[in-house]
Amino acid sequence: MTAAREAIVLPLMFLTVALFGGLEPGAPDPWAPPSLFSLVLAVMVLAALVRSGTLAPERLLDGSRSMIANSNGFVVLVSLFAASAQLLHMLTPRSGLPSLMVGVVLFLLLLNTLVMSPDRPRLLRSFAVVTGSAFLLKFVLLAALADPDGGRTKRVLLALFDVATLGTMTQPALDPRAGYVAFLMVLLFLVAVALLPCAAYRFPAGLVPARERAITRTES
Amino acid sequence: MDQCIVYADERLSCPTRYNRAVREGIVRGAGLVLALVYASGIVWTYVRQPQTVGQLTGGLAAGIGAYRIDERAFNDGLAFFRRDRFVEARAALMRADPAERDARTQFYIAYSYYRQGWGRIYSDDTLFAEGLKHVDKAIALAPSGRLVVDDPNVQMHSADELRAELQAGLQRDASDFNPLRVLRPRK
Repeated sequence: MTAAREAIVLPLMFLTVALFGGLEPGAPDPWAPPSLFSLVLAVMVLAALVRSGTLAPERLLDGSRSMIANSNGFVVLVSLFAASAQLLHMLTPRSGLPSLMVGVVLFLLLLNTLVMSPDRPRLLRSFAVVTGSAFLLKFVLLAALADPDGGRTKRVLLALFDVATLGTMTQPALDPRAGYVAFLMVLLFLVAVALLPCAAYRFPAGLVPARERAITRTES
Repeated sequence: MDQCIVYADERLSCPTRYNRAVREGIVRGAGLVLALVYASGIVWTYVRQPQTVGQLTGGLAAGIGAYRIDERAFNDGLAFFRRDRFVEARAALMRADPAERDARTQFYIAYSYYRQGWGRIYSDDTLFAEGLKHVDKAIALAPSGRLVVDDPNVQMHSADELRAELQAGLQRDASDFNPLRVLRPRK
């Protein structure tokens, strides 16, 4: 990994996600800090990244590196944690049953990922699917249900839906800009995670000629 | 010299390797400073909760002492204020201080809410509440929380007086039913 990527590109990408992940356009207090639950989820994300080899912490913080290089590595780790917390907070609906359900599902998915210990490509794919699904649920599906605009038929159907679900599904109406900001932040986070310094992989000698997919991570 | 012999094995000349190390050091140092400044900006943003781009940029400029209000818009606002054209006065004053970082401007905005909301029989709670919000902002921005405006056109010269008057207007008590209230003057 180049010094520019470690010192400039990755921190700026993660800090941007940390900044705009908490933005709720149109709200009285538009900058929302992460919830305690999203901090817990962020710890699980970091653990999953390390276990899968997507992130090699020894390539960011190590006794053999210079002090300034270690400082850069520390900034990457802290900003990654902050970005993960803000992104998961941003993707979680704000109230009602959806908030509880998404929280539980995210927790179980991350727990499952930790137990399964997937390799880097599988973890990146899994992250893309999880964040993409949470984005669609909150910013497309639930936002459409909370949209105050629309004809009489739509409003009647939504009112019936609200009654049927005892009002537990209804979310506050989202600002139209919120979805676009969230989409960009999800993309930026996934790209930044893919750019993290990964663990070195060693191909067992017998497998390389046959182009086998099995690989072994070097634990050093 | 010893180092040059060692580096010769790595097909890099001494100056090349030295330049690369220096360049890497500069990149790492610049990145660290940039990240720390950006992180400080994020913390500031979450603490201050700016709602517009003007508030965001103005707040950051005020942080380094580079924020100035638009004096022309401020004078326009003051002229409207003195002619009891409070909506126009507020528009000009808010234009003068888009980041809401100037105590004196916030004081006049609060005062315009007071004068517009003041009534002989009753006061407008919505306007008084807005005025209270702005006078609180003015007090928070003033050094040591003390703000005195030397203006002969207003009867209340300190932000504390204005705040007390606005708060009194928002309270409900027995004095509200005193018929002599209609004789009280607008300050």
